[in-house]
Formats: sequence, structure tokens, C-alpha cells
Amino acid sequence: MADQADKREKDRRFQEAALSCLPDVARFALSLTRDEPDADDLVQETYLRAYRSWDTFEPGTECRAWLFTICRNAFYRMHKREERTVQCDDAELESLAAAAVHSSAEHAGFGDVFARADLHEALEQALNELPDQFREAVVLVDVQDHSYEDAATVIGVPIGTVRSRLYRARRLLQERLLTYAKDAGIAPKEGPSGLERNP
Amino acid sequence: MKPMLDCDTVMRQLWAYLDQELTEDRMEAIREHLAVCARCFPQLEFERTFLEQLGKLRREHPNPQTLRTRLVAALAAEGFTAF
Ligand SMILES: [Zn+2]
Repeated sequence: MADQADKREKDRRFQEAALSCLPDVARFALSLTRDEPDADDLVQETYLRAYRSWDTFEPGTECRAWLFTICRNAFYRMHKREERTVQCDDAELESLAAAAVHSSAEHAGFGDVFARADLHEALEQALNELPDQFREAVVLVDVQDHSYEDAATVIGVPIGTVRSRLYRARRLLQERLLTYAKDAGIAPKEGPSGLERNP
Repeated sequence: MKPMLDCDTVMRQLWAYLDQELTEDRMEAIREHLAVCARCFPQLEFERTFLEQLGKLRREHPNPQTLRTRLVAALAAEGFTAF
């Protein structure tokens, strides 16, 4: 009889803590797989694993982050993707490099390029083409709005690693978008008022 | 009075600033710098627009209720009882 009560209590806690995160987990799965049927399979796999290992979940810690970690690991396993380690530079140097991207964009008359609505698809494609480690940092922080710390917990790396992967990814995306805008012949606005033409 | 931050420091921490990942003191110092710096402010706008575009890639699951039903059925096969 006590077993029955334990089981009911376990299911109740699982429903309250884990199932209530379903919208978040579904969104995260969708951003990993980019395909709805695959995302549904991934969500199911995540919750089955979570239920089987519910005893290992530490009450009081963030259930959502725990589920995201399971989801992420299941994704790499299901899609037989290897986690390759990518070399990253210092995070602040990536920030500075982004400043260089900005000034070159500004110089080419593309200073407001990211304000264009028609870049949406190009951005999505550029994100999908990033190496997994970079893509997941952007997905967690920029698309899903997690803090660096949450993202670090989900991925299982130090916060500094998240920061440098994220910044590198952002810079790569910016460079690709600028190249895309130039190649697609998106007309630049007026260049910085005749600066280049000065003798 | 504290000295103003220089542009290089601000540029280095611009993303962390936009992500609100700095201490409150540093956030405030950068805010003060950006309010008056003609060099850093356009950079801020450039980065802010970029991050906004990324945020728009967020997609909600189109059929959360169907997914939930399917999930509860799969969990039931593992012994889970919803209430
Ligand atoms: Zn400045």
C-alpha cells in the first residue's frame, strides 16, 4: 500500500514539475530539429528518459534545465551527431571582432542591414549551418532567452565556454548575413555621407 | 567621481551588456558611456537589431495539446498515471 502511495506521489511530482515544462521543451526541441515530427519524437524520448530517471532529479533544482539537458543529449544521440570540440577565442575579442563587422557594414552602406525583415530566412539558414556547439549556444541564449548560466547548465560546460561559443557564433552569423546581403544585391542605403570620396 | 569607461572596454562588453550579464555597477557605467558616445552608440543599435532578429527565430510548437496527449499515452506505457 505504501508503494502505491509512493508511486502516486512520484507521478504527481512528475506531472507538476516536468510535464508543466512541456511548452518550453517542445520549443527547444523544435529549434534543435527544425522539423515538427522530429521534434515530437525528441520530446517523447526526452520525457520517457526523464520519467525513467525521475529518482535522479534533485528536487529544488530547476526541472526545466534538467529536461533541456536530457533533450539535448537525446538529440545528439538520435541524430548520431558527434559533439565536436571547436576551438574558441577569447569572448571579448569576439566582441571586438563584431565591432569590426559593424564598421565594415557601415562603410559599405549596410549599417542598418539587420533591421531588414527579409533577412529572416537567411538568418535561419545561417544558424542551421553553424557547427552544433555554436548553434546550440545561440538557440539557448538568443532564441530561447536563457541566461549564460542556464545555458552552461544545460550544455554542461563552464559559463565562459558558453560566452565564447555564443560570441563566436554571433560574429559568424553577422558575417554570413552581410555576405548574403551583398550577394543578394540588397541595395545599401546611402553610404556614410561621402566619407570614402574624400581625397 | 568615477572616470568614464573608454570605448574599447565598452565595445568588449557590449554583448554582455545587451544580455544583461554584467554587474549592476558595470551595467550603469556602460549605460552612461553609451548615452554620450557617438562612436559606441551606433554599434549598440547595430547589435541590438541583430539580437532582435535572432529572437524572432523563436517558434512555438503548433499543436501542444496533441503533443501532450501523445506524450501522456507514451508515459502511461511506462507506468505513469496522470491525474
Ligand atoms: Zn564609446
